[in-house]
Amino acid sequence: MASVFERPVGRRHLLQLAGGVAAASTLAACGGSSSGGGDGRLKVIGAGSQEAGLRKALTEYKAKNADFDFNLSFSPADQLQTALRAQLAAGNAPDLHAVYPGNGSAMSMVQLSKAKLLADLSDQAWTQKIPTGFKGAYQQDGKTFIFSPGTSVLGAIYNKKAFATAGVQPPTTWSELLTVCEALKKKGIVPLALGAQTPWVTQLINYALVPGTVYAKQPDFDDKMAAGSATFASSGWADAMNKYLELQKRGFFNDNPNGTTYEQATSMVGTGKAAMAVQVSAVLQAYRAAAPSPDDLGMFPFPATDTVADNWIPGGIVVGLAVSAKSKKADQARKFIEFCAQPDVVGAWAEAVACVPLYAEGQAKVDPVLKPFLPYLADNRAVPFMDQRWPNAEVQPTHFAVVQELLGGKTTVDGALKEMDEAYRKST
Amino acid sequence: MTATVAPPPESVRRNAVRGKKGRGGIAPPWFFAVPALLVYALVMLYPSIVGAGSAFTDWSGVGEQRSFVGLANFKQLIHDDQALGALRNTLFLTVAIVVVQNGLGLLLALGVHTTIKSRMLLRVIFFAPVVVSPVMVSFLWKYVYNPAPDAGLNAALGAVGLGSLRQDWLGNPSLAIWSVAFTVIWQCAGYSMVIFLAGLEGVPPELHESAMVDGAGTVARFRHITWPLLAPAVTINVMLSTVGGLTLFTQIIAMTNGGPGYATDTLSTVLYKQAFVFGKFGYSTAVALVLAVFVAAVSFIQIGYLRSRETAA
Repeated sequence: MASVFERPVGRRHLLQLAGGVAAASTLAACGGSSSGGGDGRLKVIGAGSQEAGLRKALTEYKAKNADFDFNLSFSPADQLQTALRAQLAAGNAPDLHAVYPGNGSAMSMVQLSKAKLLADLSDQAWTQKIPTGFKGAYQQDGKTFIFSPGTSVLGAIYNKKAFATAGVQPPTTWSELLTVCEALKKKGIVPLALGAQTPWVTQLINYALVPGTVYAKQPDFDDKMAAGSATFASSGWADAMNKYLELQKRGFFNDNPNGTTYEQATSMVGTGKAAMAVQVSAVLQAYRAAAPSPDDLGMFPFPATDTVADNWIPGGIVVGLAVSAKSKKADQARKFIEFCAQPDVVGAWAEAVACVPLYAEGQAKVDPVLKPFLPYLADNRAVPFMDQRWPNAEVQPTHFAVVQELLGGKTTVDGALKEMDEAYRKST
Repeated sequence: MTATVAPPPESVRRNAVRGKKGRGGIAPPWFFAVPALLVYALVMLYPSIVGAGSAFTDWSGVGEQRSFVGLANFKQLIHDDQALGALRNTLFLTVAIVVVQNGLGLLLALGVHTTIKSRMLLRVIFFAPVVVSPVMVSFLWKYVYNPAPDAGLNAALGAVGLGSLRQDWLGNPSLAIWSVAFTVIWQCAGYSMVIFLAGLEGVPPELHESAMVDGAGTVARFRHITWPLLAPAVTINVMLSTVGGLTLFTQIIAMTNGGPGYATDTLSTVLYKQAFVFGKFGYSTAVALVLAVFVAAVSFIQIGYLRSRETAA
């Protein structure tokens, strides 16, 4: 029998062939989705803030496992929400990908595990070592879904030379903070750099103040919010937001914070044009890169009240890694997670991204700049970043927007908090 | 003397008739369109219809869980202050862009449709921003709009003694939307210019010459000759800028992300945030459907009016 290619091809037959090829291509395209790609390498998408630690762990693991290879890329926070969610929706997510701990974001562990998109890691031995206070960040319904190397703290990153010029020391109370800011302002130094045009930066001052104005007095505030017996508007959140505005009214921020970006604020502190910025320790490396010498910068807990004992700190588990439930290389990915969870790897990763390791064998190796925060963690005077216990992904962006409106004079503290309460009460 | 011409052969007459049908050629068989229609159905119609179905569910955008919620998403949209604010911003931006971009484009076209020596260079300069990626343009203008007194536009104002006019161009909620509109107009005015220029090239010069002989001035000639004959160019420009304004997204996300607060949110940024930030894909699709219907309705009304104006001209 002659093959189709040996026969003269008429117009009708040509169309039949073209249609067949098109249909075959389409079917192949629709049915051939495979998680992680087909080149044998583990596909990994990490959060930009974790690059130093994750790259180090992957390189080390590859050196120890000759048959292992990876395809690594990173996404800034906003792109995690879009590109990665689109891949998850299409069923072709990378084998290992970044996931936010706890709840409160569309890319958070709770939201994605509810959608059955994350592999259960509970059978790995390291999950037994997760401290009780942090279980909510890693676990949903008793199952562990992410690995994260530890805790990032939030406080003031400050320029030591700027402080020396004004002859001031890191403050320990709210009144002292105002005095320090006044002294810096008199010397022509911007006391606090604020890049509120970058949405996630807007929340940081409130996050630094709320542990003192809310959680030190009501440690169960999150539970009361969940039960409906507390609101943002009637809590210490109002005190925190008023203090935020007081800093603006006293002229302690750079001009036009709503038009200033995170990068510009980073540069201001690095160069000494500004003295401080309220930030997470995970971005210390970026601030150090902006300074003439890394030793120019220090960090201290940002005081919220005049009672030292009430000045708690925010400390949140940093962005974690999860194994895609649909990954065809899930076993390989899980083995890598197990490797990452070894105490020495956890320590090296945590050190690379300036966070406090989840656990350690003996004395944990911590960036010296973070030492002022360690007693707070040891004394249980640290609370997770607030959004990690918010019930839906709408509260946090609402918080960003209302802070920008407050700084722009377009709303009041009461109006802002009522809007956050409305977002909180929306369905999960 | 009378010339006699023999009738053309039958085959030629038959082809001429067929040619009329096919507008100057042989009408192709309908099934030639099938491959293109198949591709269109596969990459456009099918995803659109499946996507539209999500507007009637509570799907989060990931996972299999979804329930049919009827018209709940559309009812929510009517009472959504953020979406209504975004609609106001969208309409404001659209009107500003349509009026100013086309006005400026027309002035530029008239300016370079002259005999000045540098007209070709000027055409290139005015059109250059159009070929730059909107993201690049947005980041460039974000730099220009730097609120620091010694940077960008504020520094330029200070240098010419207008320091009192320095502004927080993107950070002031009352000013940010104007700043975004200006950026879009700066980039796209050259596009309108090129379309108007093509229209101007089609205006017969003898009409202007005879009007000049009759004593008509520049304004009278523009009003009675140029403007009516530019009607097709106006139709295209108004249509394109309206659709562009109603669906504006890139410049806003890159420059302000809809902020400060909600000051520059448009329907496009709201539907993006609902889908990818809030995890409400169903509601986001409902917003997208309403936006699509709205854009289609505005376009049909507009094209109907502008076409009638062309006929009248």
